[in-house]
Amino acid sequence: MIRYRGWKQWLLVLAVLHGTIAAAGFLAPYDPTEQDREHPYLPPMKLHLVDSQGHFHFRPFFYALHPRDGSLDQFEESSGQVQPLGFLVSGRPYRLLGLVPSRLHLFGAQTSKIYLLGSDAYGRDQLSRILYGGQISLLAGLLGAGLTLCFGVLIGATAGYYGGWRDGLLMRLAELFVALPWLYLLLALRAFLPLSVRPVQAFFLIVLVIGAVGWARPARLVRGVVLSAKERDFVRAARGFGATDGYLLRRHILPETSSVILTQAAILVPQFVLAEMTLSFLGLGVPEPTPSWGSLLASLEQYSVLVSYWWMYLPALAIVPFFLGYLGLASALQQEISVEKIEGKTGGDVW
Amino acid sequence: MRYFLRRLIQAAFLLTGVSILTFLFSTLAPGNYFDEMRLNPQISPETVAALRAQYQLDQPLPLRYGRWVNSVLHGEMGFSFAYNSPVRPLLWTRARNTLLLTLSATLIAWALALPLGVLSAATRGRLPDRSLSWATAAALVIPDLVFALALLILAVRSGWFPTGGIVSVGFESLSPIQKFLDLASHMALPVLALVFSALPALLRHVRAAVREVLDAPFLRAAASHGIPRRILLYRYALRAAANPLISLFGFSIGALLSGSLLVEVVMSWPGLGPLLLESILARDLYVVIGGVLFSTIFLVAGNFLADIFIYWADPRIRTGKAAR
Amino acid sequence: MEARFTFGRWFGYGLLTAATILFSQPVTAAPQSTNEELLTLPGEIGKQGGRIVVSLRAEPKTLNPVIAADTPSREVILGAMQADLIHINRATQLTEPALAKSWKVSEDGLQYTLNLRNGLRFSDGQPFDADDILFTFRVYLDENVHGTQRDKLIVGDKPIAVRKVDRETVVFQLAKPYGAGERLFDGVTILPRHLLEKPYAEGKLSQSWTLATPANQWAGLGPFRLKEYLAGQKLVLERNPYYWKQDTKGNRLPYLDELVFLFVPNADAQVLRFQSGETDLISRLSADNFSLLSRQQRGFTMSDAGPGLEYNFLFFNLNGPGEKTSPDLARKMKWFREVKFRQAVSQAIDRDAIVRLVYQGRGAPLWGPVTPGNPRWLNTAIPHPARSLEKARELLKEAGFTWTTATDGGPALVDSEAKPVEFSILTSSTNADRTKMATLIQEDLKQLGMQAQVVPMEFRSLLDRITQTKEYETCVLGLVSFDADATADSNVWLSSGGNHLWNPSQAHPATAWEAEIDKLMEQQLAASKYDQRKKAFDRVQQILVENQPMIFLASPDILVGAKTSVGNFHPAALEPYVLWNVEQLYFKDALGYARQ
Repeated sequence: MIRYRGWKQWLLVLAVLHGTIAAAGFLAPYDPTEQDREHPYLPPMKLHLVDSQGHFHFRPFFYALHPRDGSLDQFEESSGQVQPLGFLVSGRPYRLLGLVPSRLHLFGAQTSKIYLLGSDAYGRDQLSRILYGGQISLLAGLLGAGLTLCFGVLIGATAGYYGGWRDGLLMRLAELFVALPWLYLLLALRAFLPLSVRPVQAFFLIVLVIGAVGWARPARLVRGVVLSAKERDFVRAARGFGATDGYLLRRHILPETSSVILTQAAILVPQFVLAEMTLSFLGLGVPEPTPSWGSLLASLEQYSVLVSYWWMYLPALAIVPFFLGYLGLASALQQEISVEKIEGKTGGDVW
Repeated sequence: MRYFLRRLIQAAFLLTGVSILTFLFSTLAPGNYFDEMRLNPQISPETVAALRAQYQLDQPLPLRYGRWVNSVLHGEMGFSFAYNSPVRPLLWTRARNTLLLTLSATLIAWALALPLGVLSAATRGRLPDRSLSWATAAALVIPDLVFALALLILAVRSGWFPTGGIVSVGFESLSPIQKFLDLASHMALPVLALVFSALPALLRHVRAAVREVLDAPFLRAAASHGIPRRILLYRYALRAAANPLISLFGFSIGALLSGSLLVEVVMSWPGLGPLLLESILARDLYVVIGGVLFSTIFLVAGNFLADIFIYWADPRIRTGKAAR
Repeated sequence: MEARFTFGRWFGYGLLTAATILFSQPVTAAPQSTNEELLTLPGEIGKQGGRIVVSLRAEPKTLNPVIAADTPSREVILGAMQADLIHINRATQLTEPALAKSWKVSEDGLQYTLNLRNGLRFSDGQPFDADDILFTFRVYLDENVHGTQRDKLIVGDKPIAVRKVDRETVVFQLAKPYGAGERLFDGVTILPRHLLEKPYAEGKLSQSWTLATPANQWAGLGPFRLKEYLAGQKLVLERNPYYWKQDTKGNRLPYLDELVFLFVPNADAQVLRFQSGETDLISRLSADNFSLLSRQQRGFTMSDAGPGLEYNFLFFNLNGPGEKTSPDLARKMKWFREVKFRQAVSQAIDRDAIVRLVYQGRGAPLWGPVTPGNPRWLNTAIPHPARSLEKARELLKEAGFTWTTATDGGPALVDSEAKPVEFSILTSSTNADRTKMATLIQEDLKQLGMQAQVVPMEFRSLLDRITQTKEYETCVLGLVSFDADATADSNVWLSSGGNHLWNPSQAHPATAWEAEIDKLMEQQLAASKYDQRKKAFDRVQQILVENQPMIFLASPDILVGAKTSVGNFHPAALEPYVLWNVEQLYFKDALGYARQ
């Protein structure tokens, strides 16, 4: 049997990261679409422990921002009024995981709004938008990867198991899809679909589009595994006992592909999250006001934003820990799969 | 010979398939240019009618496809309504700009990946290998979009690099050396972004391929002959490890036209990427089809080239022994 | 020795002569014929010489003024390469003499007698006279040429007629009295008969004067003439030595030697070039870029020229349902046709937020179609109600709408058949400002319980839907009047107009108020006195405000910038914002001229 070492840690890391995003309702102090028209493009607010008179406050606090004299977009702290930060406060209602209604938020402020990561053009809290935006991007990636793997397993298993003309046809089709520049195909597919759809519909459309593009490589890999598994003794034996194709596939062959599928999943999910981000960045993703990591970055295409409002870049960093987690997981899984191969060698440390 | 024919037929099949797919997608798009042209007083209704007839929007799909293939074979790729120009010269200029970027990036990436990969494989487990592995992992974790935007912010804040375009104003009046420097300064950041996105994976592949080979007996034999280490690594080991690397190189060539879309859009480089994006958004039919076809031709040609290289380099293929 | 010395000497003299010719200043004054009647412009006296570089957002498609329809072509031609008979001064917004030094209007308002200036010449030296006028108008009015100005020159369903009295006098005959008659002539570029008569006779006029035209086959009466065109890069114009204006000291204008148009495709790149000093003027700035540049005024000055003539609005699909209309759309159209619904939407919109967030305060909220940039025609009596959600809710209640609770706990508006009120707002995907406005409106309407969706769409597809298929619900668009006069946007207010966006090109007015607007527009078109016309147009504005087919949102200020060394820089609120007085622009120091 194949032993998996180290992948458990990475899975834990990923679980924590995904959990953070799933708990966006709890962690985010505000609704991501709530506009604050008096405070567009606010820089991130600072938390203080010591106020201007030198008093230490046990509870961290912040100062409300007001526009600097004569300017509409330069803000400064009003050092007169201390706004304490509350923890586990009751705020606007949300549904945890879409199911459990709750009003509890990790932190918030009673008298004024706290913008820990600044605000965007409409005065919407960037922290909340990053958290909720992650839900869209990650979900799109996960669902898309799931869809692709389903297609991949279906097509790969069919091609590998039945062989013959089915194999030839499907593999030619796979080559076709590998040959297409996937980003172009993605853009073309998305842009030619009707533009006036509701956000939910748009989301699923995007998932469909992303999933439909990348099935070729997993299909090939699955086919390879199925081909070799087909000839194994225990499969032949089972067939000799009169097992049907379906039974063979389900009980014997497909489980062999599990390592390949898992590794592919770990590789594909971040790619698909990035695909969704790219689509949103280019304006072809989920429409306003729903946030997505890509659309949060789209404002950077304007030169004035790029130069003046550095905190609008922060959503880009949100995906990095996820990439790290998935990369680690994929490496760990791949390492373990090739452990058998390496164990046989003497090391090669002569060099 | 049979090998070549087979690959050639496969390539032709691929191209046909791609062209059919893109043609289908583009024609399914709602809205077309002729409605807008009608609103334009510059163009008389007779001209609009003539163009409609020429592009035969009322004919069945297979017929239109056939006609389009025919025109492409004659070098005519249609007309771009947004840019008011025939498609082919438009694509050529943009493709040339893209190639400038991607060729430089590919060459630089490979020039770095080979020695670094060999070094990493040769010093397995020790400091150079470990630090390179870490660096590669760190680089893989940062997506191109993030890196390109970061570079853009750097350019804007520091002012060291221009923030877009291919040349400065007044380019024609510069001396050749100044022209070269101007172009180079505009290319620096996009190329850096492209190298950054390609290098880590390449490095890993080179390392993996060379590592596999390092344990081979023939190398130990050569080492015991006293052949110096550098020659052993580059002349012997790398050659033996070349097989997967050559296919990889073929893929690199294949991605020359299509791999840089995001970087070009973010850095405002006037290449094929931004053209395609605009045309897709503007429903500029023939530019989209032409652009996708162009890139696919490169991809297919890249694969084909890779196959040729392998055939030439690996005797096992020639004698039909190695499995593909 | 002797021979060498001689050779050297002659060579030296030759070189000296050549150098003198090459490096001497170009002749700034064309030989002035004694009976040339130049127009003297008041204002600051400038220095001769220099080159100004401006950026254009796209390459012009043609240099032919008859067929030029796209903005860059018009910008170049109208900005620097043409002259007309009567010109509208962009600063005062009033007409003034141009190629016609004076004119008289007959009692019945049907005849305009124009006296032309004597002895003027085209940029290639050929003389200008009344025959050129006749030729020009013949071309513009010719149906086969498909000129873009043709519609403008049709008054009372008949094209205006022109006849020549003598070499310096022409008479224009109109079929009906036309209040804005003088303004007709602005922008009608006078064409050189000696160059274009032949192509016109051969039916090739529309194909003449493309960008690739050699400089010697182009001629005009504007301050600059064609010098060279580099495809994809720039268009270079040089000073017209025969230009017919001078300053009060008798120096022939323009002061500048060259005017260069660079093609810089996007707004941000234009800002970069201006910042780095590569371009000298910049106009059509967005508020963000303007603030950005204002924060670092190094060697250039930014100015806010006040509100322009652009008005942005949200409009509803008020077309009658056709056979192809989906039942869904038909249902929504019923809501839109309810006046109180539209008025409620207007009450709920936060116009101040739009001005603040979209224009960074550099703009004006609008309640009617005329902006504060057009003070002569603005109806100051129309009400400017403050935003009021309660009033909006009352109006909706009166119209038969009620509220239920939505899934997320907020209010949801439903119509009399208990269907939730949801609709889409189309915007152009390339216009960030209007998309922002739509997003703000979306949020405002959410508070009324309406679910609006912002749908950015490619502009062509958008136009297609609005004018052809009529398959849309609401849309946010903007228009810029090309003139500060009531007739400028007739196409929008007349029910038969192609730009009557909410229900274009009607055969008969669909509603009573549209019929009344038609009547009033006819009235003001025909009336000759400004007071009469103002009264009629004031009433038009009032009707529009009462019925709200378009909900007017805001108007941006004209934001421009120029290098500090550019003299006579007086941006106007009418197009061309910075180049309207290009003949008087000059460089205060020698830097402009010395630049490569």
